[in-house]
Amino acid sequence: MILHNYDLFEDCYRVRLLASCTNQALELVNVDAFPGAEEKSPAYLELNPLGRLPILQDGDLTLRDLSAILIYLAEKDSEQRFLPKDPAARARMFDWLGFACRDLALAAEARAVALLDAPGDVASLRAKVRELFRVLDDHLTRQALKGEGFVAGATPSLADLALFPAFALSRDFNLDHDEFPQLRLWARRMRQIEGFITMPGIPDYH
Amino acid sequence: MTQTGWVPVALSKMIEPGTSAGVVAEGAEIVVWRDTSGTAHAWEDRCPHRGMKMSFGFVRGDHIACLYHGWEYDESGTCQYIPAHPDLEVPKSICVARYGVAESGGMIWAHLPLGSEPAAASELPVMEGLRSLYLDAPLADVIAALGAERTGSMIAIEHAGVALRIGVQAVSERRSALHITLPEGTPDSAKPMLLDWCEALRRQVEAREAVA
Ligand code: FES
Repeated sequence: MILHNYDLFEDCYRVRLLASCTNQALELVNVDAFPGAEEKSPAYLELNPLGRLPILQDGDLTLRDLSAILIYLAEKDSEQRFLPKDPAARARMFDWLGFACRDLALAAEARAVALLDAPGDVASLRAKVRELFRVLDDHLTRQALKGEGFVAGATPSLADLALFPAFALSRDFNLDHDEFPQLRLWARRMRQIEGFITMPGIPDYH
Repeated sequence: MTQTGWVPVALSKMIEPGTSAGVVAEGAEIVVWRDTSGTAHAWEDRCPHRGMKMSFGFVRGDHIACLYHGWEYDESGTCQYIPAHPDLEVPKSICVARYGVAESGGMIWAHLPLGSEPAAASELPVMEGLRSLYLDAPLADVIAALGAERTGSMIAIEHAGVALRIGVQAVSERRSALHITLPEGTPDSAKPMLLDWCEALRRQVEAREAVA
């Protein structure tokens, strides 16, 4: 499998993190996204007319939607360890995967404005992401009451892996972790998953 | 209304051994951390080297290390190790300023302001932490919404038959935190309702601020 990758994009990290935690090898093709905007070059627009990364290729399959890529990798995992089996549990997991890939796209946007010269208003994006973190912190507080340490159960799921980067990287756009004690504990548990890897901006300790 | 003396800054259970967190009380940035033997510490959140936040760093045994250049401080706040100069005998004068710290009633308390001589902390009954609630409103407004008297930095109210003890923290002039604790043995069945109440309180208080 080939991942067209830019190390500093959190969506590319989401894919690398899942591949690493499921023991699947990715061949990385590094794209000069910043400042080169190579993903918008004619050659790349042929692969993905939307001009975005990540892009995953597996044989003649080309995927360019973040959740499609993540679900594909999670299903290809021989143990399917991040996909709950029970239909309700799986649905709950997809509910939070949607939150990670759709709602929290605002966090990736805020970070791109703060770090990568993308256009936008970082203060208003930050305020919106803070609201979303509250939703997640409230949810994890309720999960903890049930004795469940992750968003869709007692073990980490695909949704947790997709959510993690937004929180771990939020200091890049000046959203601190002070107000989210439950998210802090959850992030610490995430670091203990076998195969966990970091990216620039996420300190490597513990 | 400035908050001085013992101020609750976190629920005990949210600061696990070997972890650190940044908190803000009356605008002062504080790193709260717990060493691997379980002792809590509250320091100025500022590394003497280049002023970066200690709360971004990590705990190693009974030391805390700064993320940026790895300077390591012992439990007295004294720098013990500088990775760039591993053989250097570190001058004893390199120190992080410490707050008086106490743990009581399921909360970690820091004595404000920095440098004040801590009085003995009161022994509160053992309580179970429910959650910390952060609100975009001045502490006085939050207390008014609760409709309760404050004793020092504590509020006692009853909700749904549970005797809540709430530690109040002025984060800044416009932000507050409530550290909500329950008597030990509160039935699990009562807790989801209490969480509903917390979220509703935050919505109500913030909606009022938006109008004001
Ligand atoms: S700023 Fe802390 S070690 Fe350099």
